[in-house]
Amino acid sequence: MIAVLPDVNAVSAPTHPAIVAIALLYFVVVGSIAVWAARRTRSAKDFFVAGQGIGIVALAIAAMAATLSGFAFIGGPGLVYQSGTGAVFLVLSASITNTMGAWVLAKRMRLLGEARGLITVPDAIGARYRSPAAQGLAAVAILVAVVGYMATNFLALGLVLNAMFHTGLGPGIWLAMLVTLSYTVTGGILAGIYTDLFEGLVKTTASVTVFYFVLKTGGGMEGISRAIMAVDNTFLGPWGKMGPMAAISLFFVFGLGSLGQPHIAHKFYMLKEPRRLKWYPLLMSVAMALTLLLYVGVGLAMRAMVARGTIPPLARADDATPSFVLGFTPSVVAGIVFAGVIAAGMSTVNSFMNIGAAALTHDLPKAFGRRVTNELRWGRIWTLVLSVTAVIVAQLSGTLVAFLGIFGYGLFASTLVPALAIGLNWQGATREGAAASIATGLVLTLALETLAYFKLFSLPTGVTTSGLALLLSLLVFFGVSYLTRVRAASQLDADIRLVMEV
Amino acid sequence: MSGEPAKRQSTSRARALAPRLALGLLVLSCFSIAFAYGSAFLTAGAPAAAPWALAFGTAGALSAMMALGASRQGRLHPLTLGAITVSFLIVAGGFGCALALPPDEGPAGVLALGLPLRTAIIIYGVGLLPLLVLPLTYALTFDQEILSESDLERVRDLARSKRPLA
Repeated sequence: MIAVLPDVNAVSAPTHPAIVAIALLYFVVVGSIAVWAARRTRSAKDFFVAGQGIGIVALAIAAMAATLSGFAFIGGPGLVYQSGTGAVFLVLSASITNTMGAWVLAKRMRLLGEARGLITVPDAIGARYRSPAAQGLAAVAILVAVVGYMATNFLALGLVLNAMFHTGLGPGIWLAMLVTLSYTVTGGILAGIYTDLFEGLVKTTASVTVFYFVLKTGGGMEGISRAIMAVDNTFLGPWGKMGPMAAISLFFVFGLGSLGQPHIAHKFYMLKEPRRLKWYPLLMSVAMALTLLLYVGVGLAMRAMVARGTIPPLARADDATPSFVLGFTPSVVAGIVFAGVIAAGMSTVNSFMNIGAAALTHDLPKAFGRRVTNELRWGRIWTLVLSVTAVIVAQLSGTLVAFLGIFGYGLFASTLVPALAIGLNWQGATREGAAASIATGLVLTLALETLAYFKLFSLPTGVTTSGLALLLSLLVFFGVSYLTRVRAASQLDADIRLVMEV
Repeated sequence: MSGEPAKRQSTSRARALAPRLALGLLVLSCFSIAFAYGSAFLTAGAPAAAPWALAFGTAGALSAMMALGASRQGRLHPLTLGAITVSFLIVAGGFGCALALPPDEGPAGVLALGLPLRTAIIIYGVGLLPLLVLPLTYALTFDQEILSESDLERVRDLARSKRPLA
């Protein structure tokens, strides 16, 4: 999910005792999980893939928690309040993506772990094409996106902690980093998965509870719709305030692009019993649908109340969730929602810390034909270095950090969907096609986003950088693979072929 | 070509039909999306056909990816094929209805399940219906088509045979 910053004044929760108590309780639980996980992390395999010992419920909820960052609770409802139902297209494809991910990636990634003991997403690309270069390119793409994503989420968490505990923005950012780092660096992905499980449950509880209050306050969906339609005849149209091209583009990028999100694909390695994947799509889809109720409901309810004159228009769209929970739900519910916002940011960040550290410890050395002797120790060191780098970027770069965070999803999609998702299911794909598509996605996303950021070039209405980069990297992948097709068969090892055929 | 190898080759070709069709649909969908995006660069703006091309291209790309991932030995289980076809029809049909039906989101607009009709088709149709069909299909076909105990053993046996002896 894209990470969009809440406005600095958006989350202005008063320090109500119940809200603070719930937030503190949340930190105590996370700390306890970290201590428990640290005692069980003894090797690089434990650190990066939780020793392949995760159950299916923990995996599905953790994947949902990592997918839905703080954007689902703050930026998303704000976008619905601002753009109407068109903003729902960002999450609409969730009805398909979880099963699609299971068919395309889950079994093959897990079997690659079984056959080769692989531990990272670039590992899978390297093994599929017998290509250290493709593995290295994928690791570079992941690193570029990860730093931006982490910086954005740290800044968002700093804003929330500042609003709740009046820490000041800078200390809030460092506090968020230290808490997330403490459990990620000690307990590795094992701590990450179980805090994600806890955080996922907090998020789902918060979402369902808030949706109940949305319907109660708004007079049901019909009451909300009638109030909005009385004053605005496009807001509740199928595309909201966006055009059909822009809305369907979002569906394309967030639908197909879901197959290129390394923090989700990486989790498939961790499942203890591969045949338990049977229930993954169902569990993940239900958890996601419930957790997205808040995303869809709050923006519509707030817009309806503005239409009725119950409340004045919001100064900032990102105020939608904080204003709703503080004004229309009991303080305990508000506390759970704010804990959910913190949970959302931290669960996403810890996944990125882990895959970023793996890229530096494992993938890049492997791409250059080297091997790090103590991957566990270096994994911890790189986690620390990446976190400090991301915090410094968050503090120094001002608005640039939002820019870094926004293109993360698109960068993952355009660089990894062809090489990983299609490559693991099509024996005709070649390493030349994979390398060319990763390079296309990387260069195009960086170039177009940079030009747009500095207002030197903009795409026509309805065409997004992420969509265009994903499309072109797919076409390059097919084109180059076709031109080099005679080499395809010789680039497949017998065990990889078996993994692709079963 | 003698009988047996020719027969084997023809069987192999027939077997590879599902992934070939899925790949063909995926490439076709990409071209459809490319047409939509490309036409948006025209000075006169995107033609009326562009959203349709994007809608069908997107629905096709997602369905083709599912079919590619779900193919087993070159074919698709009928239940899986049915579920993917249904989800394509829901997504493409949902977007198509929203594009084709006249706007009716004013004060007197008709509501379906609390939302304006076109929006209800998108939210409840595209956003919810596949969720009822796809995960259940995946679970129902898992043991037979996705990963059986013997599949897992084959992969584990090969991994063991490649591992150096202690």
